[in-house]
Amino acid sequence: MVQTDFAFLLQAIAWPLALLIAWVAGEWLLERWHVPRVTSYVAVGLIGGLINLPGLTTDIPGLPFLANVALALVLFELGYRMNLRWFRHNPWVLVLGVVESLATFGVVYWVSGWFALPVDHRLIIASLSISASPAGVLRVANELRSTGQATERVLHLCAINCLMSVLALKLVVAYWTLSTSGDIVLAAFNSVHVVGTSIAVGGLLGVAVSWMLRLRGAHERGVTVVFALAVVLLTTAAYGLMLSPLLAALTFGIVARERRVHLSSAQRDFGTAGDMLSVFLFVYIASLLTWTDVTHTFVLGVVLILARTVTKVLCNLAAARLSGISERKGVLTGLALTPMSAFAILLIEQTRLYGFEPAVQVLAALAGMMLLQELFGPVVTQRSLMAANETHVTKE
Amino acid sequence: MPLETFKASDSLTMGVELELQLVNSYDHDLSSSANDLLDLLARKPFPGTVTPEMTQSMIEIATGVHTEHGPLLKQLQDIRDTLVGAGDRLNIELAGGGTHPFQRWFEQRIFAKPRFHQLSGLYGYLAKQFTVFGQHVHIGCSSPDEALFLLHSLNRYVPHFIALSASSPFSQGVDTLFDSARLNSVFAFPLSGRAPFVLSWEEFANVYFTKMESTGVVKSMKDFYWDIRPKPEYGTIELRVCDTPLTVERAAGLACYLQALCRHLLLRTEPPPEEDDYLVYTYNRFQACRFGLDGMMVNPKTRESISIREDVLATLRVITPHAQALNSLAALDEIERTAARVGNHASFLRARYQDSGSVEAVVRSSVEALRHGP
Repeated sequence: MVQTDFAFLLQAIAWPLALLIAWVAGEWLLERWHVPRVTSYVAVGLIGGLINLPGLTTDIPGLPFLANVALALVLFELGYRMNLRWFRHNPWVLVLGVVESLATFGVVYWVSGWFALPVDHRLIIASLSISASPAGVLRVANELRSTGQATERVLHLCAINCLMSVLALKLVVAYWTLSTSGDIVLAAFNSVHVVGTSIAVGGLLGVAVSWMLRLRGAHERGVTVVFALAVVLLTTAAYGLMLSPLLAALTFGIVARERRVHLSSAQRDFGTAGDMLSVFLFVYIASLLTWTDVTHTFVLGVVLILARTVTKVLCNLAAARLSGISERKGVLTGLALTPMSAFAILLIEQTRLYGFEPAVQVLAALAGMMLLQELFGPVVTQRSLMAANETHVTKE
Repeated sequence: MPLETFKASDSLTMGVELELQLVNSYDHDLSSSANDLLDLLARKPFPGTVTPEMTQSMIEIATGVHTEHGPLLKQLQDIRDTLVGAGDRLNIELAGGGTHPFQRWFEQRIFAKPRFHQLSGLYGYLAKQFTVFGQHVHIGCSSPDEALFLLHSLNRYVPHFIALSASSPFSQGVDTLFDSARLNSVFAFPLSGRAPFVLSWEEFANVYFTKMESTGVVKSMKDFYWDIRPKPEYGTIELRVCDTPLTVERAAGLACYLQALCRHLLLRTEPPPEEDDYLVYTYNRFQACRFGLDGMMVNPKTRESISIREDVLATLRVITPHAQALNSLAALDEIERTAARVGNHASFLRARYQDSGSVEAVVRSSVEALRHGP
């Protein structure tokens, strides 16, 4: 008689079970209390980590790659939603994105000085704080089928934030490489090469895929499949070449949009496959956090979130009138940019994989901030878009 | 409350209202952005008027009162340029066309105004399905009886305006095979269709309207969704059968075609309107919606069948002297070009679909058409 190995079974089914529970919880809490789905996914991942669910480990090979594919799909969609021509008609949106990114970097760097953190850690934290989570923002906006100026701006600013965050982090990595090894070639390789080549590869793929689709005249559903497969290819290639898959995917989306192959609204979030990967992404990100780190860095987390949020809100408020919206919508746009964790965590994780040593300590130092952002960021975005009257659940 | 007094205005003056689509630049679906656009437009003087419509993805613009084609077109172009500029600042595209080819009606949000909420409460899903876009043309009348005379005399020409303006072949993502699918949405409303055959304002106001009001079904003229209705507060009749064309140039052409036609009718050289004219009205209207300029209409007086295209071209010959007198010959050129050569905008949109195989590309072409003209 074959003996069932229950310990092995539990270990093997931990991930699929956690994902299924996360999905069910997401649907249930959304229906019952309008909790954004992604918040439920994060909560399940956190609880799984807290109770130390056997098998729910991040040591399984391939998980970081899968998470990067999931986020790369989101970044592609975000890039595809960007309208570069808008910046020509309304340069204030672009100026706001850049100034707000720099201000966030400066303020977070300054505030983190109140805590006993090394300078290179503070620089990394400041770089990561620029970013807003494309997965959190886009998922919530799509879930609400939100349309309007706050939504448009949140998506465009989020993309600018992510670009600026990657650039800042690469500069910090170059600075660190230079100061530890004194090797200027290596430092340049880690920054200019990674950024430049990632953008070039993403851009080239954008041109090639659009050309191919136009040649074949693919159906809308086919277009979505081709884009999804191209994102997987891009992520794999970026890993192999030690580039930034996130930056490459964002560029791919932007260039594909400029080349104009239509992505129908039915394919938002890349359909069912995109939904599944999204559940995985948020559970995975939550499972990366260590609870002991969270308790140690809770105060730091609260202070950093406040500093970051206030900076983003004030910048958006200052630019509201100039860029053609009301002050109220400006404030709500700033608030809607609250989520930041998924992108930041994957960015720092990937930097660690490429040999950037301080990444591990920074991830631990940011645990408190990430926990709060992951859990409550999407809720703030959701409530802000609802308050802006841009969603369908808003009382009309 | 009795029907308000008909405020007489200068005969043959005209004004145009256009309902326009707000479209997002990402996937060209409708964008619920009317609030944002109206907020921005409110900061500067607007070369006309702009108001919200039933749902958040549409706005309505209106010109002032005009007598000639040139100034009317100029104002429409100024309005168009101002709107497009504001849309560019907010990353919102604007388009004409009677329907959005693939929007999902159930996703539309009712604009937060008491009247729209009340209509939404009364009509249920019909209110959201009413996310269709029309052109209304007002023609000034010197007396209420003149208004009713014109209203009924125009009955045989209604197919012309439907066919010439038709720009709504697609609905819910598919070709409906109608040139104007929009009018089918309007027809769902209980008080749509033709006005009752009454030629005296006294009888209309004191008998018909009073009776209708006593039933509790209507409170004002706004509750009637007739193809042509009198508008006592402006002293006009309002033609409501046109789809919003893709260009303001065609919108101006249609308005001036109506103006010249009314001048011709007011000479009373044609047999007077009578109730029997309406025997073929719904049939003619259907032909115009379904087949556009290729539809066949029956002349209610002679009972002869003729293609709408031929009837338009014949009418153009009759009213040319009136257009000359009204300084609107350029408008007739636009109508002649439409009927005889380039076709209506439904044909234009179908051709774009043939080229691209995509309804998104159809919206893209509508956006470009409004922006750059013919």
